[in-house]
Amino acid sequence: MLEKENKLLEQIKKTFHSAKVEVKREMRVAVQLRSDLIPPFLSYAKEYLEFKHLSHISCVDWIEDDELELVFILWNYELHVQIIAKTRIERENAQFVSLKKFWNQADTYEREIHEMYGVNFEGNDNLGEFILEDWEGKPPMLRDFDTIKYSKETYFQRPGREDAQNVRETITKHSGEEVPEFAKDYTIRNIEE
Amino acid sequence: MITPNIDEKDKRRIRDIVQDFARKHSLWVLAYGTGCGAIEIPPTMTSRYDAERFGIRGAATPRQADVLLITGYLSTKTLKRVIRTYEQMQDPKYVIGFGSCTINGGMYWDSYNTINALDRYLPVDVYINGCMPRPEAVIQGFIKLQNLIAEGKGNGADKYKENLEWYRENQKKIIHNWEMPDYNW
Repeated sequence: MLEKENKLLEQIKKTFHSAKVEVKREMRVAVQLRSDLIPPFLSYAKEYLEFKHLSHISCVDWIEDDELELVFILWNYELHVQIIAKTRIERENAQFVSLKKFWNQADTYEREIHEMYGVNFEGNDNLGEFILEDWEGKPPMLRDFDTIKYSKETYFQRPGREDAQNVRETITKHSGEEVPEFAKDYTIRNIEE
Repeated sequence: MITPNIDEKDKRRIRDIVQDFARKHSLWVLAYGTGCGAIEIPPTMTSRYDAERFGIRGAATPRQADVLLITGYLSTKTLKRVIRTYEQMQDPKYVIGFGSCTINGGMYWDSYNTINALDRYLPVDVYINGCMPRPEAVIQGFIKLQNLIAEGKGNGADKYKENLEWYRENQKKIIHNWEMPDYNW
């Protein structure tokens, strides 16, 4: 169990001393790196460890830390292991290097992250309009973009939702379920606010 | 000689009754789907529910179609295409709003990218509610539309022409880059 994953963990630690490597479970290895080490690491993973396939690039908004997290997911066809490489970049004027030279498909993901999170990928000249059309203003997937406010200002709201009840409380009362404190305001936001 | 006391408005109505009776049994639906609701159309059209027994059939292009189905959520990007499609269709034409999303936004009511009330942008003749409406509900909606046509009330397209400025104002409010041809009907 976890033999190939642990071997991989040792291998990565030997080369990248500052990397936080963790075996998540079978077939999953997570690597956390400084942002300037990501291009060399991905090059190393692709050429040396034979992680030939880039499955996905995604982005997470850590507004509390004032940082954006980029997540690169690689796959090795022989080993059948997935590497999840994560890095944090600054949130304001987010910059990163393009991985187009490593994998052509990175272009699509970079365009999407550029449009939805406003990250500028240096070296990618294709960062134009992608999914959204005529979008002006803040990228919509950032957490400080208020989607309810935007929807109210832009689109016509049909009346009838004003009396929307928070049914979570009633349901939990019926079933005797205990809701943890942090989950209490998850449920429907008050429309009036 | 006795002249029946019928005014100009009612004379047209008699001709229209015949015309509308014929129209009601020949509804060509544009083969176009937005959102997730389009998945309910294949079972409606094929052997299980067989919408063709009511005279409802698919049409390949907007110029051959009578009915435009808006099946589910409509993003602003799609709305631009839908408006263009609708304006290309020839009279008589009808719009059916399909699913909760076209009525009040449904589960996407707070989305940054989907409209919430379809009838502000296009004249909707019939709404079918539900998420998703099953083929029975879809057929019921079509029958409602047929009844409206038979009564001469399926006149969304006329309303659109009369109030074009109002519709255009609403449409241009969310479509900033308006690059559409102006059709004259």
